Amino acid sequence: MRNTNELTKMARLIQTVVWMGAAGMGMAHLAAQDVAPPYVGSQVCQACHEDIYNAFQKSPHHVVDSDQKRGWVNKACESCHGPAQKHTETVSAEDIRNPAKITAVAADKVCLTCHLNQPTHVGRIESSHARDQVSCVGCHPVHAESGQKLVTRTPVAINEKCASCHVNVWAAFQKPAHHKLPEGAMSCVDCHNPHGSISNAMTQTFAANDRGCVGCHGDKRGPFTFEHAPVRFEGCGSCHEPHGSVNPRMLIRQEVRFVCLECHANLPTVPVAGAVGGVVGVVPPSFHNLNSPRYQNCTVCHQKIHGSYVDRSLLK
Amino acid sequence: MKPLVVLFGMAIFTGVMTAQNPPAQAPAPTAAAPADTTPAPAAPAAEEKSAPASPVPSTELSVSGSVEAGYRWQTGVGGSEATYRSFVNLGSGPKLLGADFTFTDPKSRWFDRATVRAYSWGDEPYGTLHADASKSRVYDLRGDYRDITYYNNLPSYADPLLSRGIVLDEQSFDLRRKLTNISLDILPGNWFIPYLAFERDSGAGTGVTAFVTNGNEYPVPTTLYDATALYRGGVRFELRHFHVTLEEGGTTYKNDQTLYDTQKNAGNVSTPVLGQTLSLSNMMAAYGIRGSSAYTKGLFTANPVSWLDLYGQFLYSQPNADVHYQDSATGSLYLQSQVLFYTSQQTLINAAAKLPHTTGSFGAEVRPLKRVRILESWLTDRMHGASSQMSNQVLNTTPTTQIAALLASSLVANYSQQEIQLLFDVNKKLTLRGGYRYVWGDANSVVPGGLQMVSQGELRRNVGLGGLVFRPWHKLTLSGDAEVASSSGVYFRTSLYNYQKVRAKGRYQVVNSLNLAVDFTMLNNQNPSPGINFDAKANQESISLFWAPGAGKHWELQGSYGHSYLRSNIGYLAPQDLSPQASLYTDNSHTATALLTMNLPGVKWAPHSPVKVTAGGSFVLSSGSRPTSYYQPEAKASVPLVKNVTWVSEWRYYGYGEAFYLYEGFRTHLVTTGLRFTR
Repeated sequence: MRNTNELTKMARLIQTVVWMGAAGMGMAHLAAQDVAPPYVGSQVCQACHEDIYNAFQKSPHHVVDSDQKRGWVNKACESCHGPAQKHTETVSAEDIRNPAKITAVAADKVCLTCHLNQPTHVGRIESSHARDQVSCVGCHPVHAESGQKLVTRTPVAINEKCASCHVNVWAAFQKPAHHKLPEGAMSCVDCHNPHGSISNAMTQTFAANDRGCVGCHGDKRGPFTFEHAPVRFEGCGSCHEPHGSVNPRMLIRQEVRFVCLECHANLPTVPVAGAVGGVVGVVPPSFHNLNSPRYQNCTVCHQKIHGSYVDRSLLK
Repeated sequence: MKPLVVLFGMAIFTGVMTAQNPPAQAPAPTAAAPADTTPAPAAPAAEEKSAPASPVPSTELSVSGSVEAGYRWQTGVGGSEATYRSFVNLGSGPKLLGADFTFTDPKSRWFDRATVRAYSWGDEPYGTLHADASKSRVYDLRGDYRDITYYNNLPSYADPLLSRGIVLDEQSFDLRRKLTNISLDILPGNWFIPYLAFERDSGAGTGVTAFVTNGNEYPVPTTLYDATALYRGGVRFELRHFHVTLEEGGTTYKNDQTLYDTQKNAGNVSTPVLGQTLSLSNMMAAYGIRGSSAYTKGLFTANPVSWLDLYGQFLYSQPNADVHYQDSATGSLYLQSQVLFYTSQQTLINAAAKLPHTTGSFGAEVRPLKRVRILESWLTDRMHGASSQMSNQVLNTTPTTQIAALLASSLVANYSQQEIQLLFDVNKKLTLRGGYRYVWGDANSVVPGGLQMVSQGELRRNVGLGGLVFRPWHKLTLSGDAEVASSSGVYFRTSLYNYQKVRAKGRYQVVNSLNLAVDFTMLNNQNPSPGINFDAKANQESISLFWAPGAGKHWELQGSYGHSYLRSNIGYLAPQDLSPQASLYTDNSHTATALLTMNLPGVKWAPHSPVKVTAGGSFVLSSGSRPTSYYQPEAKASVPLVKNVTWVSEWRYYGYGEAFYLYEGFRTHLVTTGLRFTR
């Protein structure tokens, strides 16, 4: 703890050095591009890859073959796979770019040539998918083969896709208290933006910068006359496990009182050396007897636990 | 009615867009493209194959899809129906199980392509409807509607009267939440794209809540209604080297909850206070909340040079609320602060609140070398809320007691984070990542009262980041991710403080027909500050497989197994005697899912359509602080009857049990049968 400030200073120094170096090297890295590469046209590709070609006709990407603006008229295949002249001569897989077999960053570079400057990717830097090298083609089958669609739309199909990697998360949805994803009423993208978001865990936002949860739970949005601080400061996940729980209301504890008492602990915090500030909400306002069933669920009385419009103790 | 309204609205939009489209533009490029490209000389083989099948492309509207309808029987719920309804809530009756249609118009008269999907209608807990229509480079219209039952009545959740033999969740509700979402993009695919959208979220229903007075609280019926409408519109400029989105939007909100009771109500306290039993004879309370907000959103991305990508966002919103509340109650009531009994009370409260909220973020990806990428991002989020309230309470005492108050409260939260990461491609198979995040913020909350209560907190956190992606060959991918954090200040006792987080994932295609995935996460969090001593550990491990020999021609199997363990330990002082206590929570869960699908040879009347039989289900076994078991086996069959008609049938069982709350267990069988018509 004592070294926190030193750590911060050192990290910032390193950051500055890295940035200066990066800018310098970047300027020097403007490599020359290939000139007039030998393209053959999509019709040539069709001769051998007819199944893919036919499926591609139903894909939204087919527009690349006909759209003058993009500069790839009749060359849609090569817009992603690169010039195919050599490949048509050797018929070797080595002589053509296959985004499914190259590195994620190289595959993404192909996609982002057209798609970078779209609002979808504005949170890309914050996206754990980008950091963990999950490439675009990991989720979007570009040729839309085998009945799969380029952009999955139905909740069941979206959930299946996400669950194929996020196995732990899907397991949590099997617990009795869960959002209705296994039932097909919701999908992962209702709450998460797979392309990145300013919020933790890539969660969606509502009305610009409110938490995405209030998009469906509008009665929890406020603003309230008397706010419950953790709802604002740390979000719904302070008390709820949104993927699924064995506890009622997807709470993080088996009974409500423990959720409350862990913060409202009656124990003032003693600052330690190097620590800043105190912690919020540690002292309860009264001396309830928790041995009485009357007081064992705090929200019986403090029912407006997400924030109250009329009562500072959240009683109504 | 709502689905009809949505469809009607979409039809109007579609009509408007068609009317605006000049006749000269009618042949859409996408529709024309196949016809243009087919005769190209470079593909003679393909021409020979495709020509006989479709010598003249159809110009008629084509419809494809299916509709599935049937009837479900529920055998009755053994055990707690309230818990069953809280977790499952499927009932008997005729059902529209699903419908999915795609309309394609080669002439692009009104649209190129439109789809309509509807699932689970007919008094079902989760009904969904989706419709969309698009015309290339002219419009893209999407609409979603969901009607979701929001029922929660768990006997053990909030039942202070259980010891008296009364099973009543005093915080229960039976709502329907209806969600509508319509968006229209105009000129999609162009560099200038205006768009409009409308969203509405509403909830209405009944429930039970407590009317809280001094000395007693009374469970009373309540009606709940809230609705939020969001209107937004903007423009997107999508150019080769940059993109800008500018959006303005606003919301309206209303909340009209009422509480009422006309019968004598003894409340939760039966013990007399100073010899007098408290009770409620009659009460009503009404909330009238009206809110609105306006917001601004600005987004941009740019790649000014080949080695640099930039990203930024600016978001500002200012929600506010106007509050009117009144209640009246009669009975044997008590004012603790003045040791005063009285027979009736009236309360009137007016309040207002606002919460301006600004968020900004900026990021850059720099590629100084072929193998090196640097990701830098910065984020700030600021909320500064203020509210005031004027209340007046009149108690029927002799003489009349009047309690008036003028209160003001505030809430401020400033949060910022800066992060830098460096990714290095060691070779084509291995990428390493390392970085650092610094998080800082401050927050304070002022809540007025007899003692002005001010809570202040500061947040300071250093986080080291690391990760790798290893792809030795394209059928195997391993990724790992680690965060190690050290904090010197957090907002809450249970916040992340000194933590270590590790995630690892792997995907392996053993053979073409067999895929395996493994997933591991671990989180350790300690806050050793005196008076807190928080210690939490969580880990999850899962494995899943998908096995479909011969592309699933005869059978396929998918299954998963997961284990999760959570242990949390933090101390507190019991409020009644300030004795030290520990809140110790553990959850040790095993979860498994499996689904075996078999395609049996086609029946003689439909030789090309196999009979499909599926069996499997899931279970959860949890031990720890709330030992629970939950079984959901299922079996399905689909048998083709004649061309385009299939008989579908399903059996499901739900069995739920709790070791501590035996009266919350339930079990039931559901049998559904119906027909699927395919076009």
